[in-house]
Amino acid sequence: MIAYLIRRLLLFIPMAMGMVVVTFGLLLIIPGDPASVLLGQEASPEAIERLRDSLGLNDPWYVRLWDYFASLLSGDLGTSIFQNQPVATIILGRLGATIELAIAALVIATVLGLAMGVVSAMRQGSIIDTITMIFAQLGVSMPVYWLSLLLMLAFAVQLGWLPAIGRGMPLPEAFWAAITGRPQALIESLSHLLLPALALSATPAAIISRLTRTSMLEMLREDFVRTAYAKGLRRPRVIIRHVLRNALLPVLSVIGLRFGMLLGGAVLTESIFAWPGLGQLTITAISQRDLPLIQGIVLTFALIFALVNLLVDLLYAAVDPRVRLG
Amino acid sequence: MKKLLLSTTALLFALAIGPAFAQETIVVGTDVDAGTLDSRLTRDTTAYRVADLIYSGLVHITPQLEVVPDLAESWETPDPQTFIFKLRDGLKFSDGTPLTADDVVYTYTTLLNPDFNAPMRTLYTPIQSVEKVDDLTVKFSLDAPYAPLLSYLDLGIVPQELAEGGHDIATQPVGAGPMKLTSWNRGAEIALEANPEYWGGAPQIEKVTLKIIPDNSARAQAFEAGDLDVIQSPLSPQDISRLAGDDRFGNAIMPGLGVTYINFNTKDPLLSDPKMRQAFSMLVDQQTIVSDIYQDVDKVASSVLLPSSWAYSPDIKQPTFNIEGAVALFNELGWTDSNGDGILDKDGNKLTVTLATHSEDPNRVQTIEFLQTMFSQAGVDAKTQITDWPSFSTNYVQKSQHQIALLGWLNIVDPDRLLFSQLTTGGSTNWGGYSNPKVDELLQKGRSSLDQQERAAAYQEAAKILAEELPYFIVSYQGYQLFYDKELPTEVTATPRGYLRGLIGMEN
Repeated sequence: MIAYLIRRLLLFIPMAMGMVVVTFGLLLIIPGDPASVLLGQEASPEAIERLRDSLGLNDPWYVRLWDYFASLLSGDLGTSIFQNQPVATIILGRLGATIELAIAALVIATVLGLAMGVVSAMRQGSIIDTITMIFAQLGVSMPVYWLSLLLMLAFAVQLGWLPAIGRGMPLPEAFWAAITGRPQALIESLSHLLLPALALSATPAAIISRLTRTSMLEMLREDFVRTAYAKGLRRPRVIIRHVLRNALLPVLSVIGLRFGMLLGGAVLTESIFAWPGLGQLTITAISQRDLPLIQGIVLTFALIFALVNLLVDLLYAAVDPRVRLG
Repeated sequence: MKKLLLSTTALLFALAIGPAFAQETIVVGTDVDAGTLDSRLTRDTTAYRVADLIYSGLVHITPQLEVVPDLAESWETPDPQTFIFKLRDGLKFSDGTPLTADDVVYTYTTLLNPDFNAPMRTLYTPIQSVEKVDDLTVKFSLDAPYAPLLSYLDLGIVPQELAEGGHDIATQPVGAGPMKLTSWNRGAEIALEANPEYWGGAPQIEKVTLKIIPDNSARAQAFEAGDLDVIQSPLSPQDISRLAGDDRFGNAIMPGLGVTYINFNTKDPLLSDPKMRQAFSMLVDQQTIVSDIYQDVDKVASSVLLPSSWAYSPDIKQPTFNIEGAVALFNELGWTDSNGDGILDKDGNKLTVTLATHSEDPNRVQTIEFLQTMFSQAGVDAKTQITDWPSFSTNYVQKSQHQIALLGWLNIVDPDRLLFSQLTTGGSTNWGGYSNPKVDELLQKGRSSLDQQERAAAYQEAAKILAEELPYFIVSYQGYQLFYDKELPTEVTATPRGYLRGLIGMEN
């Protein structure tokens, strides 16, 4: 088990190197360089050239790539061209917000998705089933961008129940504040979190509900279910202990994969709700061609993605006795 | 349970009345985070606006673009190439250290150093030297007379001692303006508070927070939901008409200091003849673009001079929309539809042209697509090329690879700012390669004369030539909009530059 873990973690190194090279290549191909963005329209060509030189943009690509690897090995992600701060500092300052949003969205999506999936499977063909599946269809097909604006219009502008934009105190701190007697901090944090998390959860909730439904329906027809009923077990027990537990296996891996997708979805949601996370940062970094920052963000996303996948594999082994890691 | 309900109610009540106490904070919505808050290096609208609050310059520019004293109490020009500024007595930075002539000299010397990479350096290059005469007197010597200089001397003065001592002015700015930075949560908000050390006394409003909301529609919605007290350009035209009709909000809708224009590449064989550029200009239906795409937020432009400028003259007119006229002109130049395929041709070549703009501004993209249709109605085979700003600017327009490009210029506080580097022969931003000795001479005269009437005459004469030769076709004068909650405790004054001193109880 430990050997497996170590092997998986070591595998991350070549993967990360691959990511760096691919990102680097893409950034070489796309036109436009940070020097001219940094200096603006009014700068003279000489000024731009001078800045290119001092940023090292005029060096051959292999020199730049090598420099980047060399600094990576010494644990340095470089310095953002535009913010003039270490990339690691910038990313760490934003990472919490994105993870908080992604986890909140995943929790909402899992609860909603499982509930809808189970109910519609149990009542297959009923009106509830139809309604739930219409919702699921909508959830998959609605663009996050549009849904976000719609939610904001309804709950912030029209009803005025929730704040339209921004983030409260980070959740862990807010929980602590609530314990130490300032519950309003927690309420504020949650009220800021709710809309973006809801918008972000729509697609994964829809996918999880459809998958749960299919998987449940399959299990319900299995022999062991009939056996369970024949043994005289009650329906709730059969559903929960036998059907659901087995039906959840494929759902689990999808939930894990979805977490990675959520990071992507967060890019749009964050810039609409002014959520100060990595997604918003990504858009800015790309539009400014802030090369070290883009590299850093891609690496961070890759690392998170890999860790979540590893976690899912471990969970899989824990839930499904047929899976052995080694 | 009852107890819980009661306390929840009390809590909600406390939350509901919360904002009443925070009345002295004004929350402003903005579209981008500032890159740096070093006044010498600012390069985005948010940074300009925040720097204007944190720093003070020698002079201040009013909404009418008049130059009035700020840190400098007075100034004199013994000859057209010398400016001598007298500083106010007892000036202090927000950290309490005194501001003297040394700080002014330091600010301008570093700005002019090419290795400092200041984006606006070109505007100041006619400055030969900046010297300290005594603690309260600074002398600027110029290479040549340079009239627009005063309009640019609102540049914020930075503290020499701190900056040289390794303090990071870019992230922890210290200035002598009406407000000072309290916190900067990157990508989320910039918080400022009143600076009691400001020479004019602390402003009426104690706190200003700028919240960064990149999406235009989301920002307008957050304003309507009450999360923001103030929003300003850039805004979507649809949002502007909705907000203007809402009586909860006050507004200031005025001409801005920017233009949207067509840059013709005069070095392109197809476009080197001014008559060709005239014909293409006549295909630009400015009225439809302004009313349907910009919802009348911007105004139809008639020349390179802004209507708000002292140099403006209504008599100077670029060609106006006239498809038949354009086709007649094309025919005159030898472009006819000889094979009846609906596209003009000459010597067996089709009349093909590429229209380009950048993807960040949906209104510009729409304008280009609209132009494509108008061009094809006149028998021009127009292709479009739309890429993001870095690709569009660096690798395309700035390398003079374009034919017809739609873009803009901002902050035109003086006609020189839109014309000199852009349209004199070999100018640093003359991407279309335009060259006319007469225009060079007039633009040189415009910047070197210190007499405003003489300057206006030079610019008007140049504008007349430009309206015929058309290296630039100015499509629209950009508008500026500011919306604010009517409950704000201060009287709001707006400036087309979008600066915020008019929100905190100061004269703008």
